[in-house]
Amino acid sequence: MAGVPRTWVRLPPPPPCFYMRSITHILALLVVLFLAALPAQAQPAGTVTFSFDGNVAQVPRFGSRIELMPVLQLIGAQAGYSQAAGTYVIQLGNHQIQITPQVRFALVDGELEKTNDAAVVSPGGIAVSESYLDRVILSPFAYHLERSGAGYRIAPGAMVAPVVTVRAAAADFGTTTTLVLTLSRHVAVTVTAGAGRELLVHFSDARPQLDGSLPMRSRRIVAIRAAANTLKIELAPGQGLLASHQLTGPDRVIVEVGRRPPTPVPTPVARARKPKRPTIVIDPGHGGADSGAVSASGLEEKVVSLAVATRLATLLKRDGYVVRLTRAGDETRALTDRTALANRLDAVAFISLHANASTVSSVRGAETYYMSLHDATDAHAAETARKENAAGAPGRRGGSQLDLILWDMAQARVLNRSALLALDIQRQLNSFLDLPDRGVKQAPFVVLTGATMPAVLVEMGFLSNPAEAGQLADPAYRQRLAEALARGIEEFLRSSS
Amino acid sequence: MIRRVLLIVAVLVALAAIAFWALRPGGFARKTTASLTPVPAPTPTPAPETRVMLLFPGTDGALHPELRTVPLPAELNQRVRVIVSQLLAGPTARLLPVAGYPARLLDVFIDGRGNAYVDLSSPPQPLTGSFNELMLAYSIVDSVLLNCQELKGVQLLFDDHEVQTLTGHLDLSRPLALNKSFIAAQ
Repeated sequence: MAGVPRTWVRLPPPPPCFYMRSITHILALLVVLFLAALPAQAQPAGTVTFSFDGNVAQVPRFGSRIELMPVLQLIGAQAGYSQAAGTYVIQLGNHQIQITPQVRFALVDGELEKTNDAAVVSPGGIAVSESYLDRVILSPFAYHLERSGAGYRIAPGAMVAPVVTVRAAAADFGTTTTLVLTLSRHVAVTVTAGAGRELLVHFSDARPQLDGSLPMRSRRIVAIRAAANTLKIELAPGQGLLASHQLTGPDRVIVEVGRRPPTPVPTPVARARKPKRPTIVIDPGHGGADSGAVSASGLEEKVVSLAVATRLATLLKRDGYVVRLTRAGDETRALTDRTALANRLDAVAFISLHANASTVSSVRGAETYYMSLHDATDAHAAETARKENAAGAPGRRGGSQLDLILWDMAQARVLNRSALLALDIQRQLNSFLDLPDRGVKQAPFVVLTGATMPAVLVEMGFLSNPAEAGQLADPAYRQRLAEALARGIEEFLRSSS
Repeated sequence: MIRRVLLIVAVLVALAAIAFWALRPGGFARKTTASLTPVPAPTPTPAPETRVMLLFPGTDGALHPELRTVPLPAELNQRVRVIVSQLLAGPTARLLPVAGYPARLLDVFIDGRGNAYVDLSSPPQPLTGSFNELMLAYSIVDSVLLNCQELKGVQLLFDDHEVQTLTGHLDLSRPLALNKSFIAAQ
């Protein structure tokens, strides 16, 4: 090439086919670019693939949570936001879920359900965790979440059965115990004897959630636990299932527990038994880590209640009663254990002693409480059950109706006698101690729940009132307080016998 | 000729951009499949002024009524919020505050069985004494139930949690019914 002169010549314009080839190249380039962009669109960063019934949606993530609205769109649920209540209302078929951001509760078909975590406000409206989506959102609509590759598949069938709230109450009647399980909605239930001393109540397609608000007045039922779709009822030794049946209006399961009476063996001489002395259980309030109220001078409620309880026990023992304290020293005792002790001992009275406190130091006086069991909801449910049972619907067993009525009557009898005990104690406190009468009142105290005998809670004075705190610290005043309480208890027991 | 070719290229680029936008999440294609029907925010209308009865504790251990005229919405959840907020704001007469600490109303739920759940902030230190517990609970329970007669019970929650009891006395693990034994005889 060396030595060859370079000449620059102007070329003629290219033929039209040249431009056509260029356009083809540009178009091909565009197509390549477009196709290269497509995978990025199918799964952009920060999204997760959800599939449902052949449809696919890319759902944005919000931190560790998932935007809820695209998932609801995918399953065809309707959602709305109530500005007034600050809640999202999700509807699919006959089911409705209400969720509030930042709150660990959801209303599922009108039932308040606790959740492990909360939904949060997100750019898309509201975002939830994977478990929240599965348990709270999809389960009531009879769907569940399955892992599918890098994403999820929403499949029919609730993996987590919807909750049914169960209120359990039991009462002993002679040699048998009636356990009433009131259900928040109708669910088919089967009751079987399990291994050992267990009874199994199996719920068809529902997850029982125990509501322990009603009393367990039984020595034959040790514990009730919910596990998946089953309630496990632990019985006392020697007890077994006698019968079970399901009633409606309200929906409930009646379980009869007891020991079949053995054939009596005739004895040549019936030995005369000494009459059993009645047992009284005194409960010194609080104790151990729970000091209760504390006065300005540092006097603790647990100390006052134990000091008066010990004196009261001495006085009652002197008068021929068997007395047991729920705690003999500075010990922590669960509230339910205290009543359980009285039930086990078949006590004739249960007295829980306390000292009060107010944020206002001028408040003073003593007051006595007894149990208030029937709130409006319970009363309404009981009334409905009574009316429906009285109507004698066909197919219902007379025995179970009778047991329910007996159970209600037993509760009413205990409450009436508790009221009399409270009145006798309050009268003695007023007249012998010159305390301002704050009267007898009813309230659902935890320590009185489940007592099968007359049971009261006495507030002996206010530790927040300097004058009364001074009195409650005085051994002589404690002795007078114990004497007044003993007179009240004995007056009640005399009049009841 | 070149100009015409450039025009065709520009149109193709524009079409490609439109196609790209339509296929991205939240684009045109998704909107057509949407079954979500957002509920529009209701037009705010002023709540009518209504006389309500609020119950505040007295030193006698009873609840005493205080009448107030407040804007009371028709919606039940909002009505409960107004009643509880008014109670937490404190009495105007010589009565005691409902709570022995500066309690805040966090939330209100209504379930399908006629129970209201009132979520309050927890006391900064543990409360003691059944008096404090009873007055806090029944000021709210009785005031709400007397002013919202479609409700049957009220349960108190603290910091989004159910509690068995606040001071070791009252059973707060379930909705409480109206308890008239705490309302002072007039």
